[in-house]
Amino acid sequence: MKLAQTILLGLLTGGVYALLASGLTLVFGVMRIINVAQGALLILAALFTFEIWRRTGLDPLLSIVVTTPLMFGIGWLLYRGMLARVRAAPEAMSVLLTFALAIAIEGFMGLIWRNVFRSVTPSYFASSFHVGSLFLPKGLAAGCLTAVVVLALLYLVLTRTWTGRAIRGAAENLQGAQLVGVRVLDVAALTFAIGVATTGAGGSILSILQPFFPASHYVWISKLLGIIVLGGMGSLPGAAIGALLLGVAENLTSAYISPRWSLVVFYVVIMVVLLVRPQGIAGSRLREDVAA
Amino acid sequence: MTKFRRLPAVLVTLLLLVAAGCSSKSGSGGGGETSKPLVIGASLPLSGDFSQPGEASHRGYTIWQEMVNKNGGLLKRQVQLKIVDDASDQNTVVSDYTRLISQDKVDLLLGSFSSLLNIPASAVAERNRKTFVCPSCGSPDMFNRGFKNIFFAQPATAVHQADLFAQWVTSLPADQRPKTAAYPTQDDPFAQPVVEGIKAKLEAAGIKTVYSKVYPPDTGNFDTIASDIKASKADLIAQGAVFEDGVGLVRSLVKAGYSPKQMFQTSAPSNGDQYSKGVGVGNTEGVFYAVSWSPQAKYPLNQEFLQAYKAKYGGVPEEDAADAFAAAQVLQAAVQAVGSVDDQAKISDWLHKNKVETILGPLSWDERGAPQQAFILAQWQNGAAQVVLPKEVATSQTIVNPKPNWGAQG
Repeated sequence: MKLAQTILLGLLTGGVYALLASGLTLVFGVMRIINVAQGALLILAALFTFEIWRRTGLDPLLSIVVTTPLMFGIGWLLYRGMLARVRAAPEAMSVLLTFALAIAIEGFMGLIWRNVFRSVTPSYFASSFHVGSLFLPKGLAAGCLTAVVVLALLYLVLTRTWTGRAIRGAAENLQGAQLVGVRVLDVAALTFAIGVATTGAGGSILSILQPFFPASHYVWISKLLGIIVLGGMGSLPGAAIGALLLGVAENLTSAYISPRWSLVVFYVVIMVVLLVRPQGIAGSRLREDVAA
Repeated sequence: MTKFRRLPAVLVTLLLLVAAGCSSKSGSGGGGETSKPLVIGASLPLSGDFSQPGEASHRGYTIWQEMVNKNGGLLKRQVQLKIVDDASDQNTVVSDYTRLISQDKVDLLLGSFSSLLNIPASAVAERNRKTFVCPSCGSPDMFNRGFKNIFFAQPATAVHQADLFAQWVTSLPADQRPKTAAYPTQDDPFAQPVVEGIKAKLEAAGIKTVYSKVYPPDTGNFDTIASDIKASKADLIAQGAVFEDGVGLVRSLVKAGYSPKQMFQTSAPSNGDQYSKGVGVGNTEGVFYAVSWSPQAKYPLNQEFLQAYKAKYGGVPEEDAADAFAAAQVLQAAVQAVGSVDDQAKISDWLHKNKVETILGPLSWDERGAPQQAFILAQWQNGAAQVVLPKEVATSQTIVNPKPNWGAQG
């Protein structure tokens, strides 16, 4: 019983993780940019949700229709204003730049919302569905469901639209895409903006699941990096599998070993995967020597 | 080539840094005139994990400063507070106090919030022979280092904080007494010893431990822990909580549909409105906590403190604000009695020998700086916090037992 409950909670949490990691892996897949600021943008979106909820009482899951375009716009501006400038520089530069961005966003959030824990508490946040002796927290179930819907939409956009094909084309073969007339800079800005837009839905869901404050982004970015390294950097299905596995692993560790070790699971996974299978579960190997 | 081109820029930066270092040194020398304000330095966690209680401590210090200055200051000098932010980080708190002492040359020190930060911070103070009065540093690790200048300005150390609760549980008649207990606690040097104190006493009385786990301070999701405790079927839950984790566990227990017969939490339930809003008023009924201070207590200056707080910040002060106020009162009493801040060994000696009246009640210390009084036991009843033990200061004569199901009130 305890095992079933733990795995159930792990899968639901993993579903939410999958959405949170999708933007990070998408951006890496297309542009080889590791967006370290993804965690900070996630908390920013959660704070937007908090602000909307505090002022209007709008359900946090409905406010996704506001936060998603907002985060899309922020992502587009960030790419055009900052990241496009380091396009030709070594990849390490984008890590430095986005890390600086993360710290700047944290400081900004501290100024506006102060460094206190916030949480969004709609009426259903502390209730559950009970199935036999198992319980399914309503907030977590709704969050997981929303995450699956958003992920499915994202997948459809990537596979069924010309924009999506251009994005995937640019990811697979940059020069080839340019040859057939894909405007690579526009695609890059669009991809980055979509990647950041996923934090709109992610942040809104996060806001009802856990209390958060500006510095929470460090924990989130470490979790997300663990997930995409396990899934294979750049692979969307890989991120989903990695998220479910780590959601379950985190909960099992907490229940059967100690809650103390549950966050460590993510770091251990990063180390082991990099040592044993650097391309992750669904990633492809890239020969850096000839690819450059 | 680029390497060499950067060299001049690096040199200029270096020169600027050196120049800045020199000027700051020459700026902070001298001193000694009585007209100058008396500067009290402290580092508080105004950001990061402890920002909530850190902010409350800041308010307590500020109210005290304003009250003292209104009454003519300390040693006839106006009191100035120099408070810096340590971001809840142990390394930062050490460099903060080092800078306050050696560069800013503050006259007196007050402590930070939490044992986690005060343990390293007090070592800096002790090395510089400064009296260090801290508002929250009840961990046993604080007092086993042979320090002579540290004082904990609360009625009891962490291990003894919940003594009244443990005594009450073990004195219950056999049919009401819990048979099993769960002890989840945050990895926090102030919360964990409280729970270990309860655990030792209840185990000695034959109450079986069925769950005992430590979780890290950044734990945000308590669903797994709640489902674990549910599986253990514990009658009593005693949680070592700071704030968010206390709220988080109650929420998750509600979600899991598991209500223990007795529920004790450290710190979190003492946060008044913030706690009842966080968990929902209906879920507060019957929750116990031990508390160092009560707004109802008739100790000198307590009502003035309440009014000053209400006028400046609105609402009822947090316990941490009251503790900070009391810490400053302790320092004030000792400085006034000694009449000077030059030899802080004298200030420390005086505190070892005397009792100080504070808004938490009278406080006195043993040779290690550990306080010698007792915490009061409080319980949420009908949506409000009530003092239930000891009987002399109780505001409610009944104790709710067993705890009703979640959502029973409001």
